[in-house]
Parts: sequence; C-alpha cells; structure tokens
Amino acid sequence: MEGDLTLILPLVIVFIGAALAAAFGLPALNRRLTITQASWLLAVFPAVAFILLALRIPALNAGEVIVWRVEWLPVLGLSFGFYLDALAALFALLVTFIGAIVVVYTGQYFKGDQTAWRFLAYLFLFMGAMLGLVMAGDVITLFIFWEGTSITSYLLVAYKTKDEAARQGAFRALFITGGGGIALLLGLLLVSSVAGGTDWPTILQSGDILRNSPLYLAMLGLVATGAFTKSSQFPAHIWLPGAMSAPTPASAYLHSATMVKAGIYLMARMNPALGFTESWFWLLTTAGLLTMLAGAYLGLKQNDLKALLAYSTISQLGVLMMLIGQDIPEAFKALVIGVIAHALYKSALFLVAGIIDHETGTRDITRLGGLRKPMPRTFVVGTVAALSMAGLPPLFGFLAKETLLATTIHPSLPPIIGSLLPWASVLAGALLLAQSGLFVWETFLGRPKDPTIHAHEAPRAMWLMPAIPAFLSLAVGLLPETRQEAVFLAQAASAAYGDTVKVTLALWHGINVPLMLSLVAISLGTVIFLFRNPIRAWQQRTLPNLSFNAVYQWILAAIDRAAYLATRLQVGNLRVYLITIIAGTVLLVAGFANRSLIPDLSLASGLSLELIGPTGLLRLFALLVVAGAALFSILLSRDFSAVLAMSATGLGMAVLFVLEPAPDVALVQIVVDLLATVILVLALARIPRRQRAAAQALVEAEYRGRDKRTLIRDLLIALLAGLVVAAITYSSLTSRPRESVTTPYYEENAKTLTGATDVVGSIVVDFRAQDTLIEIVVFSVAGLGIYMLLRRAAPTFGDTGPQVEEAPSHSAPPQATMGIGGRPTSPFIRVVSSTILPLAMILGVTQMMYGHDQPGDGFTAGVIIGLGVALWYVVFGYEETRQRLPWLRGMSLITVGILLAVGTGVVSGWITGDFLGNVDFGEMIGLPLPGGFHISSSFLFEVSICLSVLGSVALMLNTLGHPGLRENNEAT
Amino acid sequence: MEIITALIIGALFGIAVFQMLSRSIIRSVIGLIILANAVNLFLLSTGAYNGLAPAYTTIAGVHSDALPQALILTAIVISMGGTAFVLAMLYIISARYKTSDVEKIDGLKH
Repeated sequence: MEGDLTLILPLVIVFIGAALAAAFGLPALNRRLTITQASWLLAVFPAVAFILLALRIPALNAGEVIVWRVEWLPVLGLSFGFYLDALAALFALLVTFIGAIVVVYTGQYFKGDQTAWRFLAYLFLFMGAMLGLVMAGDVITLFIFWEGTSITSYLLVAYKTKDEAARQGAFRALFITGGGGIALLLGLLLVSSVAGGTDWPTILQSGDILRNSPLYLAMLGLVATGAFTKSSQFPAHIWLPGAMSAPTPASAYLHSATMVKAGIYLMARMNPALGFTESWFWLLTTAGLLTMLAGAYLGLKQNDLKALLAYSTISQLGVLMMLIGQDIPEAFKALVIGVIAHALYKSALFLVAGIIDHETGTRDITRLGGLRKPMPRTFVVGTVAALSMAGLPPLFGFLAKETLLATTIHPSLPPIIGSLLPWASVLAGALLLAQSGLFVWETFLGRPKDPTIHAHEAPRAMWLMPAIPAFLSLAVGLLPETRQEAVFLAQAASAAYGDTVKVTLALWHGINVPLMLSLVAISLGTVIFLFRNPIRAWQQRTLPNLSFNAVYQWILAAIDRAAYLATRLQVGNLRVYLITIIAGTVLLVAGFANRSLIPDLSLASGLSLELIGPTGLLRLFALLVVAGAALFSILLSRDFSAVLAMSATGLGMAVLFVLEPAPDVALVQIVVDLLATVILVLALARIPRRQRAAAQALVEAEYRGRDKRTLIRDLLIALLAGLVVAAITYSSLTSRPRESVTTPYYEENAKTLTGATDVVGSIVVDFRAQDTLIEIVVFSVAGLGIYMLLRRAAPTFGDTGPQVEEAPSHSAPPQATMGIGGRPTSPFIRVVSSTILPLAMILGVTQMMYGHDQPGDGFTAGVIIGLGVALWYVVFGYEETRQRLPWLRGMSLITVGILLAVGTGVVSGWITGDFLGNVDFGEMIGLPLPGGFHISSSFLFEVSICLSVLGSVALMLNTLGHPGLRENNEAT
Repeated sequence: MEIITALIIGALFGIAVFQMLSRSIIRSVIGLIILANAVNLFLLSTGAYNGLAPAYTTIAGVHSDALPQALILTAIVISMGGTAFVLAMLYIISARYKTSDVEKIDGLKH
C-alpha cells in the first residue's frame, strides 16, 4: 500500500451511499422516510465527494498527481490503484456534481413510489463504478469499473422490468458495450504487456515503445473498439437511442455526463501513449466525423424529446472523439471545454424532458406545445440549456463551438480533412441549432396541439435541479474571474495532450475565422429551423434511419443459431458420449505424445526365466488370471456370473500387489474387491427381475452378432484404446527412472518423523494425511449421496412404499428368519455370521493399533467390519440386521469420524504447528501401553478413518439392502 | 516381461472400454470397475524401484517403491466410493426409465 489513502475517500463515500440507498429498501426505514426525503439525504454523499475532489484542485493546478495503490497479485504484476490528475478530476467532478443533482431529481421524479429505492441503489452503484473508472490508477482497475458501469447501466435502463422495450434496449446496450469491453480488455492487456506495467505512469511514459511496437495496430484497434462502443460512435451508436427507455433521471445521468463519456475519457487518457500517429488520427477523425454527422442528421427527424436529445448526444460524442484524434493543443482545449459544456446543457435538457414527460404524460413533440404558460420556470431553464446546445453567445456552448471551429481550420490538417472538417462541423452545428429550436419551440411555444394534455408547473425542487447546470452554462460565459478554472482546464487538457495547453475562457476573441464560421452555422441552422417541417417530412419519407436493426438482429440470430448447433452435439446418448470421450482421449494422447508410442522392442528384457526373477512366473500367472477373468466378465452372459468374474479380476490384482511386494495395497485391494462385489450384488438384486432379464437378453443379443455394426465399432474402439494404453505402459516401463526423487525421503524419515516402520502407511496417514482426510470425506460423501439418491430421490420415480426409519424401533415384532431376497437361511450359516462380526471388529482394532508397523490401516479396518455387517445383511435380511445392530447408524459414524479427524488435526497442529502433524499422546502423558502400540495422532486418525468408512459402508448397505423399493417395483 | 505386462494392462483397458460401451448399463458399471483396476496396475508399473522387499524400514534389502503404492491405496478407495455411487445412480436410472438399456435412456435428449 502506498500513496495518499484519502484519495479513495470520494469513492468510499459514494459506495456508502449505495449501501444506504439499498438499506432504504428495509421496511423499517421505508415506512419512516418518503423517497423524496431519502433522496435529499442521499444527495449529500455525492455532494461531499464533489467537495472533497474540488479541494484537490489547487494541488492539481500546481501540476501534482495524487496516487494510491495496493499490491494485489504482485506475482503477476497486478495492483489495485487510483490516480488523480486534472483530467481524471475533471471527469470525477462532473460525475459527482451531476450525480448529486440527479439524485435529488430522482426523489421528485419517483415521488410517492416507495419502491424506487432500488433505482437509487443502482444509481449509486453506477456512480461508484463511473467514479472508479475515471480515477482508476491502472488498466485492470479501470477495466473492472468499466464493466461495472456496463452492468449497473443495464440495471438502470431495464429498471421498468415489465416493459419489453426497456429490457430490449438494456440488453442491446449491454450486448454492444459488453462486447466492446472484451475487446478493450485484450487491448489493455496488450498495452500493459508491451509497456511493461499496468499503471498509468508506466503506460503514459511508454508512448514511443507502444507506437513502435509491431502490435500497435492491434492495441489501437482493440482499445478503440472498447471506447467507440461505449461512447456510441458510428456504427455502434445504435444502442444509445434504445437505452432511452430508461427512467429519465438515468438517461440524464448516463447519457449526458457519465457512461458515454467513459470512452472519451479513455481515449483522452491514452492519447499520450497511443496517439500522435497517422492511424490514430485517421481512425478517430473518421469515426468522430461520421458520428457527428449521423447523430446531427438523425436527431432532426425525431419526434420523441428524449430521442432527439439522444441523437444530439451521439453527435457531440463524435465531435469529442474527433478532437482527440487531432494532435494540436487547440483540439484538447476544445475537448475539455466541450466535455463540460455538453455535460451541463445535456443533463439540464434531459431533466427538462423528464419534467415535461412527468407533468404531461408524453414526450411526443407532435402532441406538445404551448407549455410556456403552465410551466414558465421549466420553460426558462429549458431555453437557457437549449441555447447553450445551439452554441449561441453568451453561453458556454458558444465557447465550445468556437474552440471546435478553431481546431477544424488549423493549418496542420491534411488537405482533404482540412477542407472537409470545417464545413462538416458547420453543418453539424447548424443541425444542432435547429434541434435546439425544435426542442424549445415545439414544446413551450406555439399553441397546445393536444387539448387532452393538462400541464402544470413541476415542484420547485424538480425544476431547480436542471436550472443549476443550465445557469452554470451561462455563468461560465459571463463571470469575469475564471482564472482558476482556466488553469484547471489547461492542466486537464495538458494531461490528455501530453504537453502544455493554454486555455482561456473568454468568449470574445475579436472578429476571426471561427466567428465567421459560427455565424454561417447560426444562419444555416436558422434556415433549417424555419423549413423544419418540409425537411423533416422529407427525411422521414426517403432517407435511411441508420439504426442497423437488421444487422443487429442478424448477429443475434447468428449467435442463437451457433448456440443451437452447439447443443445439437449433445445427442443425449451415453454410448455416443463415451465413444467421443474415449476416442478423443486416445487420439489426443496418440497425437500429442512427445515421444514415439511405437514400442522399441529392443528394450524389452525378454521372457527367459532367469531374467524375470524368482517370482516372475507367479507374476505372469497372476497377470493372465487378471486378464482372463476380465475377459470372462464379457463372455459370461449372466450378469451375476459376470460380476463374479470381475471380482476374480480384483483378486488377481491382489496377487500382483503381493508379488510387487506391496502388502498394504494387497490387503486393501482384497477387502475393497469383496465389498464392491457385495454392493454390486445388492444393487443388482434391487433391480426388478423382469428388467434384469431384459438386460440379459440385450447382452446376449449383442454377442450373438445381431447388431454386428455396433459390435465391430465397440471392438475397434476398445482395441484402439487398449493398444494406446499398452504402448504408454510399455514406454513407461522401459524408460522409468531408477532413481526416485521423493521416495527416499519417505523411507528415511518414516521412522523418525512418524514413528512408523510401514513406509506406505506413514505416507497415507502422516506425510500425506490431508490427502487422506479429503479421501475419507469423498468416501463419506459417496455414502451420503447414495443414501440421498435412493431414499430421497427414488420416491419421486414411483416409489410410494412406506419409508423405513433409519433404525426401526425395538418394539417391532421379530421378523421370520429370512435372508436377502426373502430366502430362508440355514442355522449353521447364521451361527457363522454371528461369530464373524465380533471377529472382524477385533481384527479391525488390531489393524489400527499396529497398522504403523504391519500391513493394514484404518481404512481396511473399516471395510473389514463393514464386510462383517454385509454378511449380516445377506444372511439375516434387512429388518433383523437393523434391529440387532442399532448402533450402526451411518450418519452418526461419519460425523464422529470426520470430527475426530479434524479435532486430532487441530490439536496436533496446535502442538506441532502442522495440521495433522505427528504427536504421540500416549507417550506425552506416560500411559503404560503394550509394546508397539502408541496412542499417537496417527492412531486417532486411523480410528477416525475407520469410523467414517464404516459409516459410509453402513449407509451404502442400509440403502442398497433396503427391501422396500425392490418389492414395490416388482409389483408394478 | 515388460511387453507382457504392457500388453495385459492394455488388454485389461480394452476389455474395460468394451464393457463400458455395452448397451446394458450393468455391464457398463462392471467395465468401470475393471478400468479402475487397469489404471491401478499402470500406476504400480510406474514405480521407480524393482525391489523385492516390502517397504518396511525394519526389513533389509531393496524395497519396492512406496510412493505409487500410497497413490494406489488412495485410488482404490476413491474408485470404490465412485463405483458405489454409480451403482446407486444405476438403480435410480433403471427405476426412472424402467430399463437397463442405455439406448432407451434418453432423458438428456432435448
């Protein structure tokens, strides 16, 4: 963390405002305060933020830059930081100033609608995002807030969720600006990787590196795409008119001073780094010029007041973008003045349009008119703002237009643009003037066109809000003492230009070319205004409206189509999925293996008896048993026989493990294989007999070759997979290193660190104890999952039988002695099973006690006891087992087991500083214990493993051995 | 010996894949279990040592490699849990569709 922490105060304040606005949704607050009172209260937050920012102006005027940053991911060179220079401050001041006005206005606009706290909350969130965007100190922070404005503006535009047009408009805005955001992210990442840092100081100083980079055009294109879509440059301007379906306060805020200015800010900020090249000039000038003309031309034909304002905004954004493209100081003077002038008059005009809509119920200029009498104050405010937009003296808009025209006639421009630019600007200025006239004349002057409209003046607070920016436009032009402001603007312009820019705010510069051009524009605009009706009629009749709806719809339809095609790949057939996965994996492995998979047979050690060691023949035999048994699982057509063959495969594996020699693994393999067989048989027994027979017939049909095509396909895939695996195994066997890196460590430290002589056991319960903890959690979750599936989900598929409780009560009458499937069992087997369970328990406990020095561990213990229980299920049946083993409650066992494991881990961690580190508790308190037995953390961990595994096995057996569902299904 | 081991692991894998592709969902589960076995055998074959003594510090001689063994232990347990869960799903599926024929289970189709 470095820099001036107080820099982030304005941002924090705005976000506190957002939280309070959301808190206003709580019924307790909502009952006590009206939305209007709340908005007055909330407006304090942006106002305070504004003051805090304004207090920085003297320092900024002196050329200071305030930064604050905190390292975020230092490894990646990412930080989260803020940066305030005059340029950022200019935008930040506008954001908070207009923000405060809009918040108060919102309270008036939504008067009586207590649910509007939602709107206020969104508005504050947007304000925070926008403020963060302009104050961001690096491109990553900027991007985060950039996306934040996209999302929050979506919420604001789609605020009237029941209005389809609002939803569509909001989606279109999000779609276009969001798409631009992705391009922007790529561009910014390119910029920062070439510049060698993500923060502004680094990037701004790397202008030469960036401009000479071979990636320059890519960076420029991507960043410009982001900025152009955000600032609605032609042809991405199409989202802005649609976004007018937002409530008017949002339009006034987003589309005058904030959101659309984000792209302008970004390009101005990037100008010292990416600007001053031919491509920059032509890209920005062309886009700006087209946007300026298209917006001005389209604005004139609109009937909706807000649409009219939206298009004139597009036109102004084009002007600003074009100015950034020029590399002369005058352009940046015009830029800062244009930004302020536009923000002031456009927010005022939007708010006035909102008042008109609010008081008359319409924004259609073909129905309005003559509002001067009922709404005199609104009329004055609207007229002042419109005059500024028209660029008439003595308003600020006049100065903006003068500086723009001064730029366009600058001699440094290339000849084509040099002759085109002034006249295009004059034409756009004239069209804007005509639109201002339209706005004032058609709404306030003339006669009321629709007698059903009964207008009346807005509340004072409501018309006062647009009055503030409107009259500021006037004040800046008229006040004599504006030196401080001029210095501030000069600093902002210099930051964007990268060199010193002089700014004066004097309106009168004597008679010069810009003034002449201005006069031409005013006269032309007046003519257009006078002939507005025939021109507008002609526009509406013949000329295109450039909304590119067809293109937009086509793109959306294409995306839908692609998504549909992508989902068509999901055929919903398990075998097709499996084939795709297996064949895909095999091809990938075969294709990307970094060594040849063709076996080099010369490396093989042959088959002579001497070479394969004393157990070689046995090993060969075991391998053949494994493969043969697996083959039989295919060939045997009865399912139960196939399961037994599979079980034999597992036992063959156990023999292989013994020969390795890996006694621990062999033991686990044996018990798990038995358990898997038992569970598989139990599950099979639950499937209705008729269904089993059908499945059986299916398998037989497959092998008799009735469906030859699939048989060949399956054989081919299996063969391919087998061959690739064989090749991989062969190459790994012949090339494996003979020096292990990790195993010697375990071998040397097993005894000293864990007190175990069994290296495998010590790895499982000590060295990699956390893995094992996760493993038993997974195993327990499997048991719980089975329980949930069969006891909770199965009933929704037709099982309506009575649910048996986890442990039936003892008072239930003893059942007849029936084994699984309702078959009687002989007393001999019953005696044997009764004896086996206690023996299994003793065996399990021994395993846990001596597992450290002998084969066996907690897992084996749990499964062995579980197998004893499984025998009971088979011999005594479900009911009797449940009655005679009331302690066998899966959930409780799992809970106790895992809690014990975590508890042991925490205690031993507290003692050794290592979670699940090894502690011998027995030795610590000096318990007299038989030799070889230690009550250590490992032992406790073994116990917890045993408990949770037993719990999980019990859950599996309880659910799969549960008879209720099977009988129900058999009946249907 | 390496060739035989490799061929048999490959054969095991191929058999498992063939079983998984069966139309009978029961055979698919059997294939899954055999697949786990094949993978465990493969893991075992990646061990660095060819020792003939079990990995106990009290036993002299060249030990077998303990690390793959510990990995296999974990793999056996996890695949056991997974298999049991798949079995429960198998049961649910056959109850829902009243069939064990993979081709007739078409709930994923849209």
